[in-house]
Amino acid sequence: MAQDKLKIGVYELTGCAGDALLIVDCEEELVPIFTAADIEVFLMAKSDNRHGDLDLALVEGSVSTEKEKEELLDIRRRSKIVVAFGNCACVGGIQAAFLDKKNWEKNLKKVYGNHDFSHSQPVQSKPIDAFVKVDYYLPGCPVGKEQFLSTFNRLLRGNPPELYRFPVCIECKWQENDCLLNKDILCLGPLTLGGCGSVCPDHNIPCFGCWGPTEEANLTSEYRLLLNKGFDVAAIKNRMANYSGTRIAEFFETFRKEKR
Amino acid sequence: MRILKLQKKDFFPFLEVISKKAELWAPVAKQGGPPAETLPDPHWASLAKREKFSFERIQDFSKIAMNTTRTIIPPKKIMVPASFNMFHFDEKEYREDLSHVTNRILFGVHPCDIHGLLILDKLFSQAYSDPYYLEARKKTIILGLSCWPDEFCFCKSTHTDIIEEGYDLFFTNLESHFLVWIGSSRGDDLIRLAPDYFDERLTEKDIKTYINWQEERDNAFQTEINFTRLPDLMELKYKAPFWEEAGAACLACGSCSMVCPTCNCYNVVDKQFLGNRPGQRLRYWDSCTLTEYSEVAGGENFRGHKSQRLRLWYTHKLRAYVSKYGKPSCVGCGRCLVTCPVQIHAKSVADALEGHPVDAFWKKFAEEVSK
Repeated sequence: MAQDKLKIGVYELTGCAGDALLIVDCEEELVPIFTAADIEVFLMAKSDNRHGDLDLALVEGSVSTEKEKEELLDIRRRSKIVVAFGNCACVGGIQAAFLDKKNWEKNLKKVYGNHDFSHSQPVQSKPIDAFVKVDYYLPGCPVGKEQFLSTFNRLLRGNPPELYRFPVCIECKWQENDCLLNKDILCLGPLTLGGCGSVCPDHNIPCFGCWGPTEEANLTSEYRLLLNKGFDVAAIKNRMANYSGTRIAEFFETFRKEKR
Repeated sequence: MRILKLQKKDFFPFLEVISKKAELWAPVAKQGGPPAETLPDPHWASLAKREKFSFERIQDFSKIAMNTTRTIIPPKKIMVPASFNMFHFDEKEYREDLSHVTNRILFGVHPCDIHGLLILDKLFSQAYSDPYYLEARKKTIILGLSCWPDEFCFCKSTHTDIIEEGYDLFFTNLESHFLVWIGSSRGDDLIRLAPDYFDERLTEKDIKTYINWQEERDNAFQTEINFTRLPDLMELKYKAPFWEEAGAACLACGSCSMVCPTCNCYNVVDKQFLGNRPGQRLRYWDSCTLTEYSEVAGGENFRGHKSQRLRLWYTHKLRAYVSKYGKPSCVGCGRCLVTCPVQIHAKSVADALEGHPVDAFWKKFAEEVSK
């Protein structure tokens, strides 16, 4: 029955739109997806978008303008469930890599000068849970197709998603890779959420942390370990900040205070 | 039990004959890795220089690595793949999926890993036996192979350096020939496929060569752990501060469990799909060192801190299994020694339990942080 279908919106804030694209890329599942639910809003995939009340909102991207902040608050008001969809929405993404506010303002000035932001005032980029309550986090850069499909399906049936919570190392060992960190390569596998199938280490490329940190990411230990292996502070900080800026800002802040 | 002699030149022809009966799997060298000279840390530099090995399907016998130490992952992966589908289901029925089970001959299994399988046999055939493991185990012929310890092997300490059961054939690799032990009627059947390659008459010289080899190997071990004391020490040092120190450094990456031949825990999740595609019940290797493992409904966690989970891991290996089966569930393969990035492993934990100086990153980390 058509009226029983869940009303769903797919929204894109600041990001590369890769997560929304991933849905469109689920070619064989597209018809089932659009049949199983009423996709009310999906700018990338359709033109008649209706911004009404929603059962489920998938929000991609981070908030980096005042306008996006308003849009996000509005989405939250209209939606029963909000899912942070992809790395930028979950932890801020590359655009949140600047660790302190002073640097961000300096860089904004450096790039834009005294430009008048008539369209919308920029703010330092932050994940969506800096502004609204998030029900579920679907990590990834972009999110994994398999994890998206099973999560989408569970949400349609009214079940909470079952997401992988283990680090990349688990899948890396499933693939029987030789540990890159043990070969003194700056690999963020132990800190980073798995689900990607350890694609980078499978090709002898270290993990860059693009799925964001695990809930228990032991930043202090890996940081000290890397220092011990001869990496300098800047190299470690840059790599760690790359994809998970706001999540690790606190760690580096404490560390800076300790040093003083 | 019979012991036969096999000339080296007849080894490949023998494999040729038996590999017609089932898939042949054996250790092969893995590619990759940076030049070892670039590594500042001597512990990892010495390791990175070495080739790493993995049990793979063999098409070309010359690829078989005969003089290996441990593979990255033990042969448990053949019996229970890291991640596999248990069954397909829809709204009406379920269909079991045993596609990971095929007839295999697993060559090159070292005594420690055979002991590892014997331990898994016990764990997976209790009151509720595990059909997925047992089915694959039944269809896998085990051809053991002797080995030579490196500085991380300590199977002599766990008494798993020799093997009395759990294999179909066992090859002791001597300089000019193999001595082949027949451990089962299935192994005997393999010999009967090509009896001409084997010689039953062992000379005095052959026996002497074997004894000399065994004595030399016995003296080649460089790592020793006193396991008889460890169950008591696990009890006496249950609240020792070093658990906190190890827990603070632990990356909770779970690699120790993945590479351990006796770690057998797994998680089960259902994957459902849209449309008419049947669902899947996936089973994948899990680790008690991960936070989700001890979490229950409502979000409570029985072992919220890594130190508690590490202690559980070692309680299982060093104490609990001993109370039930009379020996530790550590087989001395050394995989945790070469895998844990912060060096929390059987040797450093045993040293800490004994009150000996601990030479490991996690100890150094504790000292650095306390400063």
